[in-house]
Amino acid sequence: MCAFQGAGMLPVEHLHLEHVLQTVCVLESVVRRSFGPEGGQVLFTQDTGRAMLSRSGARILTALRLEHPLARMVVECVLKHSTVTGDGSKTFILLMASLLRIIHTTACKEPNVSHAYNSKAAAEAAAARHLADKMLAFALEELHDLIAVGVVPYGSCLSWEDFTTQTQLQAHANNHCVQNLLASFFHSRLGRTHCDLMSNLTCELLTHWEFENDLPSSSLHFVKDNLAALHTPVSGFPISCSRLMKGQVIHRDFAAPCPRTDRQPVKAVVFTGFLQPKLLRAEEVLELGCGEEGKQRNIVQFSAWAERSLERVIANLQRLGVSVLLSAVKQSAAVLALAAQAEMSVVECVSEDELSLFARLSGATPVTDCWMIEPEHVALLTFCRPILLGAHRYVHVAFHDSEERVTVKPCSLVICGLGEGQTDQYACALRDAIRMLLSTWEPTGVTATTASERTRQSNTSTSFHTDDQIPNAAPFKQCVLEPGCVIAAGGTFEFLLSHALLQHGSSCSICDDTMMGVPAVCQLLANALLSVPRQIYSHSPRRFLLTQTRLLSSVQNHSHPFSLAHKEEHNTILIRVGGDCECPLEEGKLTKHCCREADVSPKAFMSDSGLESVSCKYQVLLAVLQCVSSVLRVDAVLHTHTALHSQSHRRPNASWDGTDDEAED
Amino acid sequence: MSRLVKKSPSLCTDLPLDNTVICNKLQLLRQLLKSCFGPTGRLKQVHNNIGGHVVTTSTSSVLLPAISSSQSFINLIKTSILNHVSRFSDCGLFAAILCLSLIEQAKQSGLSGSVAIGVNKHLLGLCTSYLQREDCGCKVKLDFCSSHNLITLASSIISSKPACVLTESEVLHISKLAVQAFLLTVPCNSPGDVSLGQTVSISVEGHPVLNSAVFPGLLVDTPDDLCLDKSENQHSNPLRLVLFSASLAGDLSELGDGKIDMHPGVDTDSQILDQLLELVKRVVKDEVKVFVCQKVIHPVVQQYLKRHGVIVIERLGITLMEPLTQLTGAQPVATLNTTIPAKAYGKVKDLSILQFGSKTMLHLQPPGESSICTMILCHRNETMLSELKVACQKTEHVLRLTLREPSALLGGGCTETHLAAYVRHKSMKEVTETVSALGCSRTEHLRGVDGFCRSLESVAAALEHDGGDSVMDLTHAHHWTRPADVMKEQEDSSGFCGCGLMESSPNQRWTYLNTNYQEFSPAPLSGGAAVQPRVLDSFTAKLNALQVAVETANLALDVRYLIQDMN
Repeated sequence: MCAFQGAGMLPVEHLHLEHVLQTVCVLESVVRRSFGPEGGQVLFTQDTGRAMLSRSGARILTALRLEHPLARMVVECVLKHSTVTGDGSKTFILLMASLLRIIHTTACKEPNVSHAYNSKAAAEAAAARHLADKMLAFALEELHDLIAVGVVPYGSCLSWEDFTTQTQLQAHANNHCVQNLLASFFHSRLGRTHCDLMSNLTCELLTHWEFENDLPSSSLHFVKDNLAALHTPVSGFPISCSRLMKGQVIHRDFAAPCPRTDRQPVKAVVFTGFLQPKLLRAEEVLELGCGEEGKQRNIVQFSAWAERSLERVIANLQRLGVSVLLSAVKQSAAVLALAAQAEMSVVECVSEDELSLFARLSGATPVTDCWMIEPEHVALLTFCRPILLGAHRYVHVAFHDSEERVTVKPCSLVICGLGEGQTDQYACALRDAIRMLLSTWEPTGVTATTASERTRQSNTSTSFHTDDQIPNAAPFKQCVLEPGCVIAAGGTFEFLLSHALLQHGSSCSICDDTMMGVPAVCQLLANALLSVPRQIYSHSPRRFLLTQTRLLSSVQNHSHPFSLAHKEEHNTILIRVGGDCECPLEEGKLTKHCCREADVSPKAFMSDSGLESVSCKYQVLLAVLQCVSSVLRVDAVLHTHTALHSQSHRRPNASWDGTDDEAED
Repeated sequence: MSRLVKKSPSLCTDLPLDNTVICNKLQLLRQLLKSCFGPTGRLKQVHNNIGGHVVTTSTSSVLLPAISSSQSFINLIKTSILNHVSRFSDCGLFAAILCLSLIEQAKQSGLSGSVAIGVNKHLLGLCTSYLQREDCGCKVKLDFCSSHNLITLASSIISSKPACVLTESEVLHISKLAVQAFLLTVPCNSPGDVSLGQTVSISVEGHPVLNSAVFPGLLVDTPDDLCLDKSENQHSNPLRLVLFSASLAGDLSELGDGKIDMHPGVDTDSQILDQLLELVKRVVKDEVKVFVCQKVIHPVVQQYLKRHGVIVIERLGITLMEPLTQLTGAQPVATLNTTIPAKAYGKVKDLSILQFGSKTMLHLQPPGESSICTMILCHRNETMLSELKVACQKTEHVLRLTLREPSALLGGGCTETHLAAYVRHKSMKEVTETVSALGCSRTEHLRGVDGFCRSLESVAAALEHDGGDSVMDLTHAHHWTRPADVMKEQEDSSGFCGCGLMESSPNQRWTYLNTNYQEFSPAPLSGGAAVQPRVLDSFTAKLNALQVAVETANLALDVRYLIQDMN
């Protein structure tokens, strides 16, 4: 897109503000198509020729295979952000584009073009850089407070019971919250037609995987870590056939036709190695002799010994009543044949993830030494049977209830789609939804990198300590966003925050009215933020204005939604959060407490447009500001040539190093 | 990676459905698939650019993989149809044509993507819930007491593959065989969970179709020098059989990675051979009469076995292992040193030799009731034979699907027209609720419904290829075709509707398909059991096809941007 290439010895590309803006605007134009309620899918053909649909911003941006280093840098920032929060990559690009546009216009208007700069461009670049840094500094300092005061009161809080309670009494009222949050997420990922179905499934999945005596979010962590083993993609069916299934699906078929066993419970053993001893290891030498002692050294004797030892292992398994063998590796034909004769079914080549999940759920330890199989290696199953899912036959097991895990109801998710591309898309959306919930739930754990230090302190030390150490009470700011804070979707966050920014700006303007001062920064940020709802309502600008006025008028009506008492209560909560995180019951109560806020907040904010996570939004904003300031610090791109490029580059004047070329060819 | 290649940037297209090139390609695909649809569909010859094998077909599962396009839209539709076909074996062309018509209709109606998607999804819900209702007017309950409907279902599938080139009596013969084979694979006397058996099909080229047959049990290729000594076999009935899954060629396997250091004069081969002979001796002592090995048997061992009157079958192959174990009850043996337990031996009732053209086959008959059977398919030439084989596999699959859901849908386009009429009527009745739920205007809704129904009707109309007219009656909404060359006055003699349930009568009122008509509630046929439908479609397959078609069309309508990786 820009060019001073090739003229000199080393191609140097000077980066102007316009170029940066142009690059990001190109990305914006791609992302915009799939943004918001009216957005659609992006269809891309992979280099393998497979067609793939996606509405995930991160996926789309990687699929572009961008060449420009600047664009790649931006995409990398987006990816880094979205792997943490699972959400907000499209908003990232939109916000970034609008911020850059605003910075650009402001920098161009800058009146005091100093003589220190020898060109107008350099002056603009410096002004822009300065502005971006200011914004970032402001955001790191103040944004958190602004959100806590200007946005959070209008939102509501998810409580852990939302995920877990199955009881009908409160479920329909509360569960709505999480489901709403998930539904809006899936709406932005898969489109309106599938969002209810997917959010129901996700809620159900999380409900089933609730560990009672554990931290509430452990369920989310568990599902996130085991998602690959917990879901089965099935292509060729409509998505409405997706369902939850009791037990675990092992994504392998029985190696031999399985004999039918009606014995209860079914006993299974997990093997990590070979059942038949490897006869000769790589470093060993088998010596075959002759003559009178040949009887001992006959090759046939040798393999007979191996078979006999295998027989003994199988006999031992039979004694324990085992009828299913799960193996991480491919076993020999002899193992299969002997197992079949002993009426055992064998499942080979089971992936490590699935085996470890199986071990965790059944409570049995995998066997490493075939000679030492004890009852603790034996897992009890209620059934173990083949199941046909799409084109593949898998093994379906259900676990015998044991006392340790009465609360967990192991289940696995069958994701149906028209093709592999679709099931992939659904699975990715599910994974990101879990991430999004996690970062909603644990906003402190995943705050932006610059704030990590403070976060760590706030986690480790008690509130009193931090009070002593840091007088400006920075750790508190980290915690003001209590876990699970959500707000109505459809631009509410942006409207409210930009309003709060403007208010904040005007309150500061008395003391400070320079160009780069706080009021100006607030103004710019507020404007940039509004670009997101503007995009959401791009099909009808009238609705943009309507929503804005509706929200702002209700803000004015409730000019101070928090009474003083309420605020105090807040603080006590915060101290507890910072102090003893390891007390789950306390936390459960606490969040339930917070949930009352939903009643306090005006009805205008609980529209039916869905919910969004406040902490995710906050993190997007921080990430964008960081990205902008780091992008604007770059002033030139040097195109260096590594060995990969040198060949083509050197060819025209190859006369002096012909030998080199030959070597390369 | 030996060589790093720079990734080239991707090619992007904004709003692809507004692009005329892409729209033309989609239309071309629709025309192509439409022309293949139904029993009178036109055949397509597929041949590659390097002079390979020419395939004549009209089946979606053969045709679609042959269509390769650089256009990812085509690939998207292709893969989802192929996925459907691989799960349900039927209604592939129906799904493809419906999907492409839906896309085209939505484009023509000028609705915005999200509105069209919402309406389509809503109407799909209407269709599926109607089809699953007990009183659905286009559904027929299958009765397993009589094979009549099953044969009708089978013959509808086989006759919808014109590339098989079968006469009417041949279609009936093959359909009967398919139903017979299907019924043989359903075990009768096992309580609880039933596991279906297997049909092994063998194709023989150059014989008349009517020579095709179904045998209970397995047919395996015989060794050349086999002669059955009847007198010997008689005394022990059933015959004992042993099945080896390990190689008996005398090779060393699975020793590991180590080295073997051999002293001079050691003859490992003969040691192993001795061991094999030892094993075989034990087998012969156990009075085994049939010796089967998945892999190769050492010639000396074979010789020994034959001398003792044992029938040897080697190189059985992995595919026949499972049917054989099911048939005989044998457990495959893979250990050479351990004694073979008595229960590992299987049983065969009798052996006989069958001659089919150039093929000589050994017929292993089941000892008792067994769910394994073999189907021999004959046809005049290879292309027709391969198409017939595909058709029979699909028929078997569709018949199996009826076990889960014992119903079928009326064929010949009647289900489509009936559904269209039902949807028009139902959505008009509920228009207010729907409009508020979908958040669209009344006219938008109307246009969406019209597009959906037209698409369904156009699938029914696609069955006609000879220039005839497709019409629908205004009472039961069945589908009728009128040949082009029949004069207006004779139209009453057009006989039966597409599925054969209705006979034309002079006071019926008609409408041409894809024209506007006053919506009405299609009445279910009050017919007794006297009239049997002549054409039936698989219920399960069609229901899924309908869902797949609408969902695929919705996905395609939702696409706003195209990125094509050019690497």
